[in-house]
Amino acid sequence: MQTLIKILLRYSNFLVFIALEVAAFMLISMNNAYPRSSMLSTANDVVAWQNEQISEIKGYFSLRSQNEQLAAEVAALRNQLCSMDSSENKAPIHYQHVKVVQMTTDRLHNYLTINRGSKDGIQRGQGVRNEEGVVGIVKTVGRNYSVVLPLINTHSNLSCRFAKNDYAGTLKWDGKDNRFAQLADVSAHMVANPGDTIITSGLSPVFPEGIPVGIVESSVLKAGDSYLTITVRLSTNFKRLKYAEVVQNADQNELEELTNGLD
Amino acid sequence: MDWTKQLGRYVVVMLLQVLLFDQLQLWGACHPYIYILCLLMLPITLPHSVDMLIGAVVGLVMDIFCNSLGIHTASCILLMFVRPYLLGVIVNDKDRLNEQIHLRTLGMEAFIKYVVILVFIHHLMVFSLAAWSWHHIGFVLLETVVSGVITCFIIIGYNILKYR
Repeated sequence: MQTLIKILLRYSNFLVFIALEVAAFMLISMNNAYPRSSMLSTANDVVAWQNEQISEIKGYFSLRSQNEQLAAEVAALRNQLCSMDSSENKAPIHYQHVKVVQMTTDRLHNYLTINRGSKDGIQRGQGVRNEEGVVGIVKTVGRNYSVVLPLINTHSNLSCRFAKNDYAGTLKWDGKDNRFAQLADVSAHMVANPGDTIITSGLSPVFPEGIPVGIVESSVLKAGDSYLTITVRLSTNFKRLKYAEVVQNADQNELEELTNGLD
Repeated sequence: MDWTKQLGRYVVVMLLQVLLFDQLQLWGACHPYIYILCLLMLPITLPHSVDMLIGAVVGLVMDIFCNSLGIHTASCILLMFVRPYLLGVIVNDKDRLNEQIHLRTLGMEAFIKYVVILVFIHHLMVFSLAAWSWHHIGFVLLETVVSGVITCFIIIGYNILKYR
């Protein structure tokens, strides 16, 4: 017994090291798993407030491009208003306007923080878009702020399809260029031409069908592969992203409960 | 040793890290983590396990700012674990270690060795944990070299200005 204690004392530093590292790795895996504490992320009020101040200051330097973007959005909305068909009764979807207070675009795991949280009805799993196209999916919700997992994160997965036909695929990101993503799981017999539009498939309740995702930049069939390697130019310009809208589908909870019940 | 001074330095370095260096988006591979300056320059008068705990706390705070829960924590713990052994190897005159750790106490050559080795261990750990696959190994190495060089430059520069 004494020798055991002696050995433990002798290697106590190493044991502390191992214990701390195990705890740290548990944190890492927790971060990738489902629920995550919003205190330990940029949804934390103090951290998000600090980021918001920085983005306020940075905002002054991009007023011109913001104006252009807003003008384009007004135009698009006006067009939509003209072509609105009141007889078309779609799912009850509410768009909540949010401001992006912090974002990275040059890492493998990019995230963005938005200035709305649980008190504004934001929930984990809701989609985020802007006037250009899909931005990402809400990952962590704090009281006043939330963290969004954008398309340009190597953990991102988005079900989408070709606008010209119903061929669906999964959009992933290889971590290289924040303007391009890759469309996986499209069979080799499908003909994908550069310029084809990719839209959300509507197969999950996260996004309604038809939100623009991107445009096919190139499509290659590698020898021996049964799937096409498709590069998609993303509609959303993440570098310039300042405002977005959270898609709040009133039916989402019910739909998810139904699918969860199937497991 | 004046611990309030150490804490003050930590706050300043952390502010610089979050307000300035985290905002840099150069070439996509430049993410210098200068906050480890305060870990590298911590005196080694404390017990080794307390040192590692300090590393864990400093890393955890950084993780909260980076949305990378655990990654900086793990890297800083490793850094603080390796530190005393490395000092033991590269510093011949052990009496020097009873004071603070900086350029004047260690000497130019030993100090540069100390900083470069630890910065690269830390940065390599951070970037490879963030990538978490062999797929991105080239990018991870590039990121480590680019960011590591800048971090070393800043830490050594600070010491040249202050302790020469």
